Amino acid sequence: MIGSYELAVIGAGPAGMKAAITASQDGVRTVVIDSFLQPGGQYFMQAPVEYKPLGQTQTEKTGKELIQQFSSSPLTIFKGTLTWGIFKEENEEEWLIALFGDSETKFIRSKNIVLATGAYDTPIAFPGWTLPGVITCGAALILLKSHRIAPGTRAIVTGTGPLILSVSAHLLEAGVNVLAICESNTILPKGIGHAPTMLSHMHRLKEGAKYMNVILKNKAPYKTGWSINRAEGNDHVEKAFISKVDKKGIPFLASQVEHQVDLVVSGYSLTPNTGLARMIGCEMDYQADRGGWVPSRNEKMQSSISGIFIVGDGAGIGGAENAEIEGQIAGNEIALRTGHINLKTGQERFQELQPRLRNQKRFGKLYGDLFTPKPGLISLANDDTILCRCEEVTLGEVKKAVAMGAKTIGEVKMITRSGMGNCQGRMCEHSITGAIVKALSAELATFKTVGFNSIRPPLHPLPVNFLAEVQKELDVTE
Amino acid sequence: MKRIIEGSPLIPKIERGKKIQVIVDDKRIEAFEGETVAAALLTAGITTFRHSQKNKEPRGLYCGMGICYECLVTINGVHAQRACITTIKDGMRIETCKELKL
Ligand code: FES
Repeated sequence: MIGSYELAVIGAGPAGMKAAITASQDGVRTVVIDSFLQPGGQYFMQAPVEYKPLGQTQTEKTGKELIQQFSSSPLTIFKGTLTWGIFKEENEEEWLIALFGDSETKFIRSKNIVLATGAYDTPIAFPGWTLPGVITCGAALILLKSHRIAPGTRAIVTGTGPLILSVSAHLLEAGVNVLAICESNTILPKGIGHAPTMLSHMHRLKEGAKYMNVILKNKAPYKTGWSINRAEGNDHVEKAFISKVDKKGIPFLASQVEHQVDLVVSGYSLTPNTGLARMIGCEMDYQADRGGWVPSRNEKMQSSISGIFIVGDGAGIGGAENAEIEGQIAGNEIALRTGHINLKTGQERFQELQPRLRNQKRFGKLYGDLFTPKPGLISLANDDTILCRCEEVTLGEVKKAVAMGAKTIGEVKMITRSGMGNCQGRMCEHSITGAIVKALSAELATFKTVGFNSIRPPLHPLPVNFLAEVQKELDVTE
Repeated sequence: MKRIIEGSPLIPKIERGKKIQVIVDDKRIEAFEGETVAAALLTAGITTFRHSQKNKEPRGLYCGMGICYECLVTINGVHAQRACITTIKDGMRIETCKELKL
């Protein structure tokens, strides 16, 4: 028998937890599937359970409270479990959700799904970016905050957005020598226009100021309008070259400075993790300032497909507070639809959340205006720079495919195999799209016309013997 | 790559899990319960986890959160395990730079 639920939430970060708390406390039969061992997502990342914290930061404290509320809600949780597929026959009411994890459960069914799959650092390809010692902001923060490990001794931090400040401050406190923090956007002139929004987000300003203080105290240079342009090394990164970039993101090599390093941390803002939404066939739209391809949604957070809701950074970058509100709206709507609350209560709650949501959207706008990675950053790559890490496809090969007539990411994929590896294109889609757009600029190609990688199950590579077991189980239930 | 011992405002002090031992490529290394395989390898100074299939170039931790598949290692004979999301266990046998297929 496959367990059946009224709501399945995929992802237990701020958005997913809030959706699950809201719905389950109204009586909605709720299951949550999270690929990590502990709830919290990236934002409320916890130290391993085996560790005993002897103090905690404000974020950790806020996170603990939310996690506490989540864990004591009447719901079922599958931890450390990947969701590798979501299926539905046309005439069926419920979705079939395929799982891979420690538990025996391989499938569950649910009428409604909330996708809360978060985001990852937008990868930008530059010569040497595949060397060990070049890691993302996410990787650095997990090592520093959760594992208490300093990932190097001499570092360059490069990218765009507040995360590079957070990473830098944590590195500095861990005793890492941060030689330069390169923010690829020039922030000031635009930033001033957003001053009123900034002031209504005092706590965020304070958090930023806290990081800035650590950076200033340690005299680590924060360089806006700069980026890494190349890394070198044999088995590990040894040198990083940084230079000014212009408004389009194209480097001025004349300004280049060389640094001896053993660590490069890179994060060019964030990309929503939309693999499952793509697999199901949700309508997508390209919005650079919200992180790239994002699912279309109505005001209740429902995607173009009935019963599929998408919330948090996985639906467009907006931060943890925005994620929580979106999760609450979706959870509330599902409680209403499943008959656990009445229309009046549902509408009242929805209205109540609107002012806070609008305030978050203003902040999202500011964030997008200031920290969207510039398309010109593709010019950091040379013809022999790898864009697709899994299949080792270079920029030169992508250009050749375009010269052969490929105009979309799908066509380039067919010719070069880019995006066909283990990561299903998550690490290369941005760079390959940028390369196609640049190569076809005369034809006015855009990120929209180039399109996105379509995703088919399994979303993650699975062991062969597991797939055989899955087949057996399906034969029995059908 | 070092474990942080002293606490600071952003990274408060912590008591790690129990000390354990694992074997990496026939060498014994120390780790702590709760760490990921990646964290233990990095603190032991091992940063190349695999070689790429075509060009045989060194690869290691990249995304740190299980989505890029760059950190694949062999654990107790099972190939292509992601070091960044696998919790280390006492006595584990970890091999770097082996088969890349699950
Ligand atoms: S480092 Fe990306 S999957 Fe492990």
